[in-house]
Amino acid sequence: MNDNISEFISEKNIVLNLRALNQSDAIQKLAVILKENGYVDDAVAFQRDVLEREKASTTGIGNELAIPHGKSAHVIQTTMMFARNEEGIEWNSLDGSKVKNIFLMAVSPEDKGNEHLRMLATLSGELMDDDFVEAIKKADSKENILKILQKRGNER
Amino acid sequence: MKIVGITACIAGIAHTYMAAANLKKFAKKENCEIKIETQGAMGIENELTQAEIDEADVVIFAVDTTVQNEERFARKKILEVGTSKVVKDGKTTIEDAIKLAKGE
Repeated sequence: MNDNISEFISEKNIVLNLRALNQSDAIQKLAVILKENGYVDDAVAFQRDVLEREKASTTGIGNELAIPHGKSAHVIQTTMMFARNEEGIEWNSLDGSKVKNIFLMAVSPEDKGNEHLRMLATLSGELMDDDFVEAIKKADSKENILKILQKRGNER
Repeated sequence: MKIVGITACIAGIAHTYMAAANLKKFAKKENCEIKIETQGAMGIENELTQAEIDEADVVIFAVDTTVQNEERFARKKILEVGTSKVVKDGKTTIEDAIKLAKGE
């Protein structure tokens, strides 16, 4: 994505043992982490904005992946999180699969055309690459997740 | 076969770029030339020139919203689909576009 990816997503924003019961619970738990890490100012309001976007159309893109995202006034700084849930969650996915791997994107409405949006756009494109998705699904540590994201960034 | 297209979703954050990537992926597999203009949160990028549009055999609009500068595509064969469909099954979208181009 680019050299700043490590500033954009750090190990703090990666959770490998999420125990969410459903979609709403997953977004809530991740919103709380974003609040703790200083990226959103109100976890409940941010969760509501993300679920509102989810109503418009599912972000379960298939292959056990979901990319919930919200442009929300409660986002202090645009960022993303990666989470892996222990059990598959129902997400109305395009292919009917239950979701285990979640990329949550939190976007500030102030952001227009900057490098953060660029990184989210690049990540979105990468999710169409089967090799990238397989690597993410297999990665078993925060360090490996970061490495995969960084490696892709450097190839571009 | 030359394909041009536009991708645009409501938020302009993710589906615009997933759809663009998937169209390129499957166009390549069918040995088609493709150029996709993205109309997302970062504005218009990889903008299609009128010459590129004129030369294209077919146009794909993978959009959940209105296409900006649509008048460029007057009299072109246009396949219109939602971004989710392209994300789910880019292969069928490209195949349908090829059929449309060939008048099948």
